[in-house]
Amino acid sequence: MNGVMNGIKFMVDMYVSGIVYAALLVFVAGFLYKVYFGYYKTPQPLKIPQTPQPTTLGGVIIRMAGDVFFFRSLSKGTTLLFMAGWVFHFMFFLILIRHIRYFVSSVPEFVSALGNGAMGIASLLMVALIILFVRRLIDKKVNYVSSFADYFALALIMGIVQTGIMMHYEKFRPNIVEVKAFVLDLMSLKSPFLTMIMHPHSSPGNSLFITHLSLVAALLIYFPFSKLMHAGGYFFSPTRNMINNAREVRYINPWDKG
Amino acid sequence: MADEKTADEQHSEGSEANARMQELLKFTKIKPKAVELTGKIKVPDLKPNSMLEVKPQLLTVKEMLEHLGYPADGLVPNWKEVFLKKMDEILKKYRSVRLYMDICVKCGACVDKCHYFLGTGDPLNMPVARQELMRKVYRRYFTLPGKLFGSRFVNGADLSEELLVMWYTYYYQCSECRRCSVFCPYGIDTAEITMAAREILNSVGLVQKYMHEIIFKAQTIGNNLGMQSSAIVNALEFVQDDLQEQLEMDDIRIPVDEVGADVLFVTPSADFFASPHIESLYGYAKVFHQAGISWTMSTHASEGGNFGLFIHNYEHMKKINKRIWEAARDLKVKRVVGGECGHMWRVLCNYSNTMWGPFDYLDPNYKRPQHICELTLDLLKRGALKIDKSANEEFTVTMHDSCQVSRAMEMGGMPDGQYEIPRAVIRGVCHKFVDMPAETIRERTFCCGAGQGLLGDDMLPTRVKGAMPRMQAYYRAKQESGVNFVALICAICKAQLSKMFPTYGLPMEEVGGVHQLVGRAIVLGAKEGV
Ligand code: SF4
Ligand code: SF4
Ligand code: SF4
Repeated sequence: MNGVMNGIKFMVDMYVSGIVYAALLVFVAGFLYKVYFGYYKTPQPLKIPQTPQPTTLGGVIIRMAGDVFFFRSLSKGTTLLFMAGWVFHFMFFLILIRHIRYFVSSVPEFVSALGNGAMGIASLLMVALIILFVRRLIDKKVNYVSSFADYFALALIMGIVQTGIMMHYEKFRPNIVEVKAFVLDLMSLKSPFLTMIMHPHSSPGNSLFITHLSLVAALLIYFPFSKLMHAGGYFFSPTRNMINNAREVRYINPWDKG
Repeated sequence: MADEKTADEQHSEGSEANARMQELLKFTKIKPKAVELTGKIKVPDLKPNSMLEVKPQLLTVKEMLEHLGYPADGLVPNWKEVFLKKMDEILKKYRSVRLYMDICVKCGACVDKCHYFLGTGDPLNMPVARQELMRKVYRRYFTLPGKLFGSRFVNGADLSEELLVMWYTYYYQCSECRRCSVFCPYGIDTAEITMAAREILNSVGLVQKYMHEIIFKAQTIGNNLGMQSSAIVNALEFVQDDLQEQLEMDDIRIPVDEVGADVLFVTPSADFFASPHIESLYGYAKVFHQAGISWTMSTHASEGGNFGLFIHNYEHMKKINKRIWEAARDLKVKRVVGGECGHMWRVLCNYSNTMWGPFDYLDPNYKRPQHICELTLDLLKRGALKIDKSANEEFTVTMHDSCQVSRAMEMGGMPDGQYEIPRAVIRGVCHKFVDMPAETIRERTFCCGAGQGLLGDDMLPTRVKGAMPRMQAYYRAKQESGVNFVALICAICKAQLSKMFPTYGLPMEEVGGVHQLVGRAIVLGAKEGV
């Protein structure tokens, strides 16, 4: 009996450690590969900034910051999409910050401060996701351009958020001390190698936690192959990152240096 | 022997495919219908396939196709191979296209922003759907999952004759105006994708007639209208005579090929005699005359417009642009000034410097080309032109921001100069100026509906429907503020709107150029020193 339990425990531990490292590897390698070879290394022959594009570097940085933090370009269109999109991204970001507490031994002030609002943040995030999902279904135009991948990405994130919210409740809650110890274990340099030689760390045996982690791993693996690449891609968008000074400063076409 | 047979077979299969394609893309004349003007721009319901029939004519003149480096006999037999090779080349040469294939999240912010969608309701005229036509191919042939698991898995599309038809149809219902891109969270520029798609179509032998005929003429003869230099000299002499007669002055001139003039002036060749374009030519002449600036036009660079911009074929654009560079040097001018034209100005302002370098071999103070509105406003500010605004008393003027100018560049070194400077010029010569509704001007301006290669008569159904938002906006300004003149800074806009106004039941005379107004208001001879 004990042997069987040990066997199952070993397989679960292997699975959890395995997907974490595999997902991280695919994500980091895929993301960097795409950004470096796909976007950075591909030449942009001509200046195609789009007004109101500033004529100075500082101005361009400010405009891009406006796009990244406040979705300025998006806000020019439909308000509902802008609000839902912004709430989704910003709340997601706050939740990510909140997760720092699992990765450092002494939790910084601002992270623990977030704890009080965590449920509110997560609920808002969920509401925004639902709005985005429903909008895709009922707005005829958006529905027309949506494909399985678009619903899939939303559903995946909803799954992550939902399992996260559920873990808040006593009934499902994993042992936080165990979780944290496990995460810190995973972060040690020799852990990936230990996993490879079949000596995984002991993982918290909580099925909801394992589901949560599995979904996150799936998202990370999916990321570099999907539209989620907008996260890194935006910074290379020539309509947004080129300075509007083509007459003043000669822009050199990388494949026609003239 | 066996090999020969397959080649033969391939060839006959190829010519069958071409015959089918010619049939599928056959031009059908459709009578365009204008909607009633209400002053409101309504987002239409989806009407799938409603614009599928509207296709521009194909170019079939062998000599032109050969000169441009495109297949001369229609669809090439191994078109799939050629198609993918060209697409691969463009994906490697244009970061814009490569990146925009990847990062669209299909948020739908752009779906109701295109004038062609608003005018037609055809879902494939929604910018993101237009992009998807290419993205489907991209996902299938240029991403790892697509290569491994096929088009079903990645929501892609295998190359097929239907796909070519869709491309040819809907990439010629985009005027590359970039309005959609303004609202896109990542600035995804559908124009870049359309330009790429057109060049890919060209490479397999599906070449649109109107635009490529013009590229050919501009490269070989020197202007879009295909006028030989003697014809240009004659035409401009005629304009000059006319002007002198009208004004009863014999020292106002339209100089051609005058070595040593200060300014080389380039403008679309339509300005030489099309109406209302020519009124602006009078205006330019009066500005130069009154300011005492010696200027000249050139027969070598007799065209400002550069249709090479409309496709991702850098060489075409560069070749056309070169003429201006050469003319400036040959005529030993000090600076280059550009007239009223949208896409011409984009090339001259944004691309010329990259392609051929600055004009620093002229007067080093003027290494950048100048827009005529920049020049005129400067003169107005310095009091170098005597103006009588009452000459334009009958007009309540509004301005249509040309899409290429308003969304692509700066003017006067200010990011919003392209809106403010022409407006300041208009205000400087008219008493009454009113803007159209805010969501239809400046960076959000609607294209006139015929830009970037869609001005051909074969595209009239598209043109009429695409003009709808602009027409409604104008009508609203007319209803609310009594506007009765729309001032333009683009030759294509002028040609399009002066045709659309009567189509929508408005008088054609309400369309004109900014320098038409300037020309009317300048008091000649009354010089008060510069
Ligand atoms: S606005 Fe941009 S990201 Fe959104 S659907 Fe349109 S092109 Fe895609
Ligand atoms: S570039 Fe202009 S014409 Fe083309 S899809 Fe966008 S809005 Fe429509
Ligand atoms: S003609 Fe004018 S409005 Fe129309 S496409 Fe050109 S610049 Fe745009």
